[in-house]
Amino acid sequence: MTVSPALSMTGISKAFPGVRALDGVDFECVAGEVHAICGENGAGKSTLMKILGGSYRPDAGTIEVAGRAIHFTHPRQAAEMGIAIIHQELSLLPHRSVTENIFMGREIVRRGFLDKAAMHRKAALLLKRIGAEIDPRTLVSSLSIALQQLVEIAKALLLDARILVMDEPTAALDERDSRTLLALVSTLRREGVAIVYISHRMPEVTAIADRITILKDGRKVWTRRADSAPVTEIVRAMVGRDLKEFYPPAPVSPPGKVLLAVAGGNNAALDEIAFEVRAGEIIGVAGLEDSGKGALASALVGDAPFAGGTMMLGGKPTALRTPRQATAAGIGYLPGDRKREGLALRQSVRDNALLTLRSMAGLFTRPFKGALGNAKIDETLRTMDVRAADFGQEIGTLSGGNQQKAIIVRWLEQASQILVFVEPTRGIDIAAKAAIYETMRSFADSGRGIVVVSSDMPELIGIADRVIVMHQGRISGSVARGAGEEDIMNLALGLSGPALGRTVA
Amino acid sequence: MTRVPQTTPSRRRAGRIALNAGLVMFIVLYAAIVLFQPTYLEPGLFMNFLRRAAPLVILACGQLYVILTGGFDLSMGAVATLVVLAASILINGDPEITWAVIGVLYGMGIAVGLMNGLVVAFLKVPSIITTLGTMLLVNGLALAWSGGAARGDLPDNFRNLGRLVWRDVPGLGTLPVAVVVLVGFVTLAWFGLNGTVYGKRALAVGDNPRASELAGAPVAATRIIAFVVSAVSAVTAGILLGGFSGVSVNAGEGLELQAIAACVIGGAQLLGGRGSIWSATFGALSLFALFTLLNLLGLPQAFRDSIQGVILIAAVAVTAWRRRRRT
Repeated sequence: MTVSPALSMTGISKAFPGVRALDGVDFECVAGEVHAICGENGAGKSTLMKILGGSYRPDAGTIEVAGRAIHFTHPRQAAEMGIAIIHQELSLLPHRSVTENIFMGREIVRRGFLDKAAMHRKAALLLKRIGAEIDPRTLVSSLSIALQQLVEIAKALLLDARILVMDEPTAALDERDSRTLLALVSTLRREGVAIVYISHRMPEVTAIADRITILKDGRKVWTRRADSAPVTEIVRAMVGRDLKEFYPPAPVSPPGKVLLAVAGGNNAALDEIAFEVRAGEIIGVAGLEDSGKGALASALVGDAPFAGGTMMLGGKPTALRTPRQATAAGIGYLPGDRKREGLALRQSVRDNALLTLRSMAGLFTRPFKGALGNAKIDETLRTMDVRAADFGQEIGTLSGGNQQKAIIVRWLEQASQILVFVEPTRGIDIAAKAAIYETMRSFADSGRGIVVVSSDMPELIGIADRVIVMHQGRISGSVARGAGEEDIMNLALGLSGPALGRTVA
Repeated sequence: MTRVPQTTPSRRRAGRIALNAGLVMFIVLYAAIVLFQPTYLEPGLFMNFLRRAAPLVILACGQLYVILTGGFDLSMGAVATLVVLAASILINGDPEITWAVIGVLYGMGIAVGLMNGLVVAFLKVPSIITTLGTMLLVNGLALAWSGGAARGDLPDNFRNLGRLVWRDVPGLGTLPVAVVVLVGFVTLAWFGLNGTVYGKRALAVGDNPRASELAGAPVAATRIIAFVVSAVSAVTAGILLGGFSGVSVNAGEGLELQAIAACVIGGAQLLGGRGSIWSATFGALSLFALFTLLNLLGLPQAFRDSIQGVILIAAVAVTAWRRRRRT
């Protein structure tokens, strides 16, 4: 390629105490190109992007933007050079309008007053350009995550970003919104924006990227054109080995007795929910973002309980009104937003793994003895292959995969009969994903049940024995193992009615 | 342990630093006191120092429970005042009923703690507002009940809890009753946090209440217990204060803020999730040593509030700086 790259990073190294995060990494991205970066968690993707965004200073190496060498000391300088980074966690102010967010810090002023009309006009234009049908006057908090992401992109475009970094942009999106976002990325590419795209989702990467760079342990493995990099090679380069059996095999024995049965379950977000979970079964729950699949998980764990209908646990009618009651009844919850709902980040790995056991014990139970002791929990954490230098270290310092494993240990210790997973592998790298799927399978194979709510369709198809699909708060149907994405999508979009789709419910 | 950890465990290291920071600060400040007034090295004067520091240390231990769970208790000073006034009114010069009245005082304290806890846990009013309200309420009630001025006297058997000093105790020389109360209370508070599952629960609830709730933790009960412990510590401190200084309508004024400052100086984290009984104990001893030092230097009383403010900000800034440097 003869074009001078919009962005070129050469020989970037960065070390943190005890960790060599980046080691002589070269990376470039030309205008009108989508350049994907893949790598396991901890491979150095985020560090590289933080250096680009001006949050970290590299120990060695040079950065050139449009042929000019630059040294950032503050994120604002990066923004002024036309570099926009859209992080996994959005940085919008929820109680401000869309316009106010887009113009935050760059308000249009006329005679000392805010020119709201002009800002709304310009915001509307920007939103239209990216094909978002959002009224710029609405509050950000009333928008779905997908729409908020579009606002974030509009904000980047206001600065006339020439380099756009997207860090796992589809992690929080469902299938339909992901497609919209990918279409938008294509549009921006045509407009000549250089796009750096970080994602764990292979189908996306191969569909959208022009070039792919693989990072592993802080080093670049290779950069190739996307058409000469099949998924198998990407995965092998990322993990350093083949992942032949990514999903565990289906169980040999048929499912056993009914563990959980819901009939006529309803609340504000759900209507006429009826399904059962048998021993040995992994039940997938699919659906678009506001289909009620999240509400179903909340209802099962007593967080936003069913208001009507019946719930039978092990054949006995049960009403679960709080997560504590659900825990006592043998239902464990593994939330999708681990940072906010799953972990006490400043507590140790051990403390997080023991949280439920300690919570359910009597108040005057001695800690550090028997099941609550370090030796016992360390043993279980090691069996689960939770990787930490020391289980006494803060869990916030662990990778997403290890955090998720620690939460699994929490419920194993409690001897829960049913686990409710939401987005079990969101933001988790490929090798850890396989381990988590394996754990889920062996949990079910030991005569217990799993309900897994996910937006990741290949995941549901790979792991679940049966997928129930939700649409507008109802179960629109269910498909057995072996069904394709098309079948699920049709049910999720409400295209095939309940009568058509319902096989076993 | 046969496994050799590759790096020092960061959480435990943080705990050890917090302990050392509070302890080191106390030793430095106490050394400074000794520099001015070498008699403070004598066991008798050290015991006397502990005796006078006892109410603050006890309050800090109670406050720590609330801070760990992510809240504040601003009502403890008011409870201590109420205790002093109520004791003088209820006992009314009759030493026979002192012990019964002390029981009543604890009952009143527990009622205030329960009220704080229930409002915070179920009405979801932020603790800083709830306990600010309770502070005004309790102060007002105490003043109205006493008629706006201190009246009556406390009998000797009540005051002895704060001021009696046993002499010729083998091995120690002198031993104030207040120091026995202090050691007893700190031991109980330590046991509550380290000898039962409550301490770990409190830390988890303070760190992330939502995650704790979803993991099955009794979040409301954990918070309520913290406020009750805090109120009980305020009653205990109030009883000692009554012994020191007799009846006064501002016996407990400002103590809640000193207790919060003590916890923070010792390394507990505001808004929860980090801290130990040692951060409260040594933080309070450091703060009290500082007050003593300022007195010895002859600085006006009013000055110590300003210095306390500066130290508080510096302590939080240092903690925040250290944490930032680690990442």
